[in-house]
Amino acid sequence: MSKKCIRYFCGFIGVQEKWLNSMSEKGYRLVRTGKLIYEFEESVPGKHIYSVDFVAHKSNAELKAYKQFLEDIGYQVMTKNANLNWSVGKIRLRPYGDRFGKIATSPGNYNKEILIVQKENDGSPFELHTTVEDKISYYKSQRNAYLSILLLSGFLFFWNSFKVNVLTFIILAILVLTAFPTMALQKRLWVLIKQSSLSE
Amino acid sequence: MLRDNIKGGALTEVTFFILLSLYKPKHGYAIMQFIEDETKGRLILGAGSLYGAINSMLDKKWIEPFGDDNHRKKEYIITSLGKEINKREKKRLNEIIEIASRIMEEV
Repeated sequence: MSKKCIRYFCGFIGVQEKWLNSMSEKGYRLVRTGKLIYEFEESVPGKHIYSVDFVAHKSNAELKAYKQFLEDIGYQVMTKNANLNWSVGKIRLRPYGDRFGKIATSPGNYNKEILIVQKENDGSPFELHTTVEDKISYYKSQRNAYLSILLLSGFLFFWNSFKVNVLTFIILAILVLTAFPTMALQKRLWVLIKQSSLSE
Repeated sequence: MLRDNIKGGALTEVTFFILLSLYKPKHGYAIMQFIEDETKGRLILGAGSLYGAINSMLDKKWIEPFGDDNHRKKEYIITSLGKEINKREKKRLNEIIEIASRIMEEV
């Protein structure tokens, strides 16, 4: 018996991870993902454990190599989109790629901003990023993703020159929605950077 | 990526252990297993962190790919430069132990 759920997490990785693990506890194992659809199959409750990884800053070649590496370790890896997009065509700029942004191509790494990594539960927590150095660069790439959208919507807000119309509200909503995760990630980074001066 | 201080020669614990694990060729999972076993579960390395560390060490030529490319899982092995780095680290750690023992046992 398969079960389909429609969910959208706005790129919030922790929430998505918690939800997938709670589904696993209830006896559902993820088998397929679509843009908004998660398809599960019945399974032994708690048999699988999930970790969700942010990979939007990687190029297509980097993503392929990383995915292969995780699969070689014995994990099952599914790709997932973080954002819904409205663009037409096959090429799109990703402002949050490394350095000056990257072009996402289809087929390629387009709609593959997130990896859902699944392994059999061995009772220990499932973390992909464990060293302080790696955590710092991992959270930095996530913060930069939110920050680029934050700056872009901030720019649009001024460009719209404070007129009050529908666009203003949309821009304001995006500003608020991205400001919170940007700050949360920044705080986490400060804690890690402080820690890194004393211990690994 | 790795904060390994070239001047002082101090490696991170994870870097040191990955190098130690590769005196015999290993693939990713075996490296993680080695570290967990040798430290009796104290140090657990996530696959994402391992991936980053391996790439940095390949860049620095401390390790290199082992075997042919059509091998199903990629394996790595330490280079002679990597062994040199590890020797220096062992010496540094020994010096620290000596200093610490002298001071802490005085009291």
